Amino acid sequence: MENNTKDRELLLERILDAPIDLVWEVWTNPEHIAKWWGPNGFTNTITTMDMEPGGEWNLVMHGPDGTDYKNRSVFKEIIPHKKIVFDHFAPNFTTTIEFEAQGEQTNLKWHMLFESKEEFIQVVKTFKADEGLKQNIEKLNQYLIEMIA
Amino acid sequence: MIRRDVFQAIADPTRRQIINMIADKPLNINAIADSFDVSRQAISLHIKILVECELLKINKQGRERYCEAKLGQLGEVSSWIDQYRQHWENKLDNLETYLYQLKKERKHGK
Repeated sequence: MENNTKDRELLLERILDAPIDLVWEVWTNPEHIAKWWGPNGFTNTITTMDMEPGGEWNLVMHGPDGTDYKNRSVFKEIIPHKKIVFDHFAPNFTTTIEFEAQGEQTNLKWHMLFESKEEFIQVVKTFKADEGLKQNIEKLNQYLIEMIA
Repeated sequence: MIRRDVFQAIADPTRRQIINMIADKPLNINAIADSFDVSRQAISLHIKILVECELLKINKQGRERYCEAKLGQLGEVSSWIDQYRQHWENKLDNLETYLYQLKKERKHGK
């Protein structure tokens, strides 16, 4: 019904100050990914990263409060130094990462396409709820600090 | 009472279609209902939800009831989408920082 993808996608693009082989390495080596996947304050454990079409990618993000967030994806397409495509499950979205060498720099395109507008809104809404919760906890923290002072 | 928010309003394709229909000019409820295949009751319920989410206002003109769009609320959605985007931009920030560190380490390692 909805062929237009504008209302259910995110596109990020950035020129990274590193040659393409290094960017490819930090994207495809689980030891590297664990170090930058974030978010801030999180640590990551990558249990599986089978980089071939149909291969599984399982990543657990450990939150600062000890909560674990499991992420499951399946790779769809891998073209060395060019492209990585994977499907993420629950929430369902497809990510396409494109790499392009520009001398000693690399242009990275990061495209996320959600299954439906409903799914996208749900994800944003959950994010809003999580952020709201975080802000509440920060407020509580601030309040406690003021009480002690 | 169930608390309604703007996300709930636009989560449904019929409600999005209603908003699109009245975005330019107010329409009376019958005209809206006539352009859908579903029952009048179903459309009335969608309109009720849109009213509760404050995206739609009903104005009475004699016997007719006109639906007018109140699109200011939609800004809330786009501001959360912006924040969600920022969440992913932060990942790219981390990647950038990590690449910078790695380059520095390898230079010194050689």
